[in-house]
Amino acid sequence: MSNSHDRNRNNLVSFLRHNQPIPPEPHPDLEQQLIESLEPRTHSRRYLKTTWTIPSAIATGFLFTSIGFAWKTPRIALEPKDLENFLVRNWQNTLNNDSQTALEETEAYWLLPTVSEPQPALSVSAQ
Amino acid sequence: MGKILACERASAMDAESETGVVTEEKLIALCQQGDRDSFRLLYQRYQQRVRSTLYQLCGSSLLDDLVQEVFLKVWKGLPKLKKPKYFSTWLYRISWNVATDRRRQLAKGQEKTSLNERCWEKEQLNYNRLSDVQNTPDLMHLHYRDLVQRGLDNLSFDHRAVLVLHDLEDLPQKQIAEILNIPVGTVKSRLFHARNSLKKFLEQQGISF
Repeated sequence: MSNSHDRNRNNLVSFLRHNQPIPPEPHPDLEQQLIESLEPRTHSRRYLKTTWTIPSAIATGFLFTSIGFAWKTPRIALEPKDLENFLVRNWQNTLNNDSQTALEETEAYWLLPTVSEPQPALSVSAQ
Repeated sequence: MGKILACERASAMDAESETGVVTEEKLIALCQQGDRDSFRLLYQRYQQRVRSTLYQLCGSSLLDDLVQEVFLKVWKGLPKLKKPKYFSTWLYRISWNVATDRRRQLAKGQEKTSLNERCWEKEQLNYNRLSDVQNTPDLMHLHYRDLVQRGLDNLSFDHRAVLVLHDLEDLPQKQIAEILNIPVGTVKSRLFHARNSLKKFLEQQGISF
C-alpha cells in the first residue's frame, strides 16, 4: 500500500518535472539594464565616515579636557627669578590704590588698622 | 576602493580557476562591498531559478520586470545579510514576496491594464505554443506541459507555492518553511493537498500514474 503510494507520488513528481512549463526567454538587455540600474553603495562611505567621526570626536574631547586642566592647574615657579617676580608683582598690586576697593572686600581689610577712624580710648574709672 | 575590489575579484577568479567555482560567500562579500561585476555573476547563477519560480507563480506577464525587481531588492538588501549561507533561502523569500505583491495587485485590480495584459499573455502563450510546435514535433509533450500549467493554475496560491518550490525547484521542506515563514508541518500538509488536487486534475484529463 505504502509502496504503491510512494510509487504514485514519484511518478507524479517526475511527470511534473519533465513537463513543467518553461518560462519565456528574458529580454536580451535585461541583465545589462539591471546592472546599470543598480544604485551605488553608500554603505561603505557611511561606514568610513562613522569610523573616522567617532575617534575624531574622542581626540577633540581629550584635547579640550587637557587644555582645560592645564589652564586651571596652578603654575609653580621653578626658577628663583620667577618666584621673585611673582612676589613683587603681587605685593605691588596689594599696595596699589586701585586695589583698595578690592581689598575692602576681603577679610584681610578688617584686620588692618585704619588711621582715619581713631579708636575710642578705653577708660576705666573707678566710681 | 575600486582597486581593492578588483584585486579581491581577481583572487576570487584565481580561486575559481583552481576549484572550478567561486565560493558563494566570496561572491556575496564582494557584492556587499558594491562590486557590480560580482553581482552580475550572482545574477547569472540564480536568475534561471528565480525566473522559473516567478513564472510558475505569476505567469509570463511582466516576468522580466518581476525578475528585475527581485534582483534590485537583493542588491539593496545584501549589506544587511549577515549569514551568506542563507542567501538562497533569502533570495527565494524575496521572490515569494514579489510574487505575492504581484498577485495582490492583480487580485485588487489596481492595474488598469491587467485585462489587456492577460489578453496579451494569452496571445503570447498561443504564439509560444505555435513556435514550439514549429520547433519541436513532440506534440504530446506540449500537451502535457499545457496540462501541468492548467493544473498549477487551478491550485490555490499557497498550495502552488509549496508544490513549485518542493517538486519543481527541488528545495527541502525545511527551507520552504523558512522561505514562507510557516511550520514544516504546514509545508507537508499543503504539499499533500496540492499533489492530490493536481493528481486529481491530471487524472480527469486522462493521465494515470
